[in-house]
Amino acid sequence: MQRRELETAAANYSYLRGMLCIPLGGLFILAALGNWEVGPFRHTWVFLLVALAIGVVALAISRFYNDNYGRLTPSTSQQIRAGIGLVLAVALMLGGASLLRSHASWSLDLPVNAIAVCFALVMLVSYAIGVGLKAHHIIIWGAVLVAGALPVWNGTDPSNIGLLLCGAGVILTGVFDHRVFVQTFGPARAIDYENGDVAAH
Amino acid sequence: MSQLTEELVLDRLIHEPGRLAILTVLSSVTDADFVFLQRATGLTKGNLSSHLSKLEEAGLVAIDKRFVRKKPNTNVSLTAEGRRRIAAHWEQLERLKRLSETVAPDQAHTPS
Repeated sequence: MQRRELETAAANYSYLRGMLCIPLGGLFILAALGNWEVGPFRHTWVFLLVALAIGVVALAISRFYNDNYGRLTPSTSQQIRAGIGLVLAVALMLGGASLLRSHASWSLDLPVNAIAVCFALVMLVSYAIGVGLKAHHIIIWGAVLVAGALPVWNGTDPSNIGLLLCGAGVILTGVFDHRVFVQTFGPARAIDYENGDVAAH
Repeated sequence: MSQLTEELVLDRLIHEPGRLAILTVLSSVTDADFVFLQRATGLTKGNLSSHLSKLEEAGLVAIDKRFVRKKPNTNVSLTAEGRRRIAAHWEQLERLKRLSETVAPDQAHTPS
């Protein structure tokens, strides 16, 4: 392994644990279904139960990564960068969506899907800064960005379709990210895996 | 030994590929556990354990043995000295690389 690969191992580990994106994408889709009040999702308790199940799945996936690929604490600079990135992402989502299409007096009120456009931009920038854009990031989030920016979203508020698009994009990205993760760190349990580890003595 | 040669001496403890890999990974994080280091460096469990022992004896890493969900877990971090030494080592390697790049073209013109 080269110096650069070794130094970026931590960033790759944090960003490319793609299976964690599957429950996250599920939350986007759940939010859309809840807003639409489709079938059983018109009941609040169904929505909360599914959200809880998604949380349990996320914990199980996190445990899978910790057990098979280890744990790390990012450096202080990485943590600060991640914090700033999160604040900027929220600001871009709220500000961008309000600017592109909202009831605000200063909104451009364009016939676009503001959620899809803003979230795709956030994802592209986030991956570009974090681990560098891979082909699947450009294809998936480029497609969501283009779909959202097409001036065909007239009429009713397209936010829920935007949530569905983003949810599908997050899940798809996660599948490909996990593939890259396994290529980088090896398949689960491929190393001399143990119950815990060997002490350094 | 001339002053120039002394300046270009590499830290033998760090220059071993396994230990260099461990310290380089640790230089990019606050701390990491044994399994992550094994994944990131590709070392076997025995090799990693042996290298960590040497690095701990030299005061370059701090090892914290703990239990996570009732399983033993070894957490490793660089000491301040370790952080300084790995940064200096990479700087030294860069200097050697630059030097070899400037010397090599000169030697190409040296008559045999």
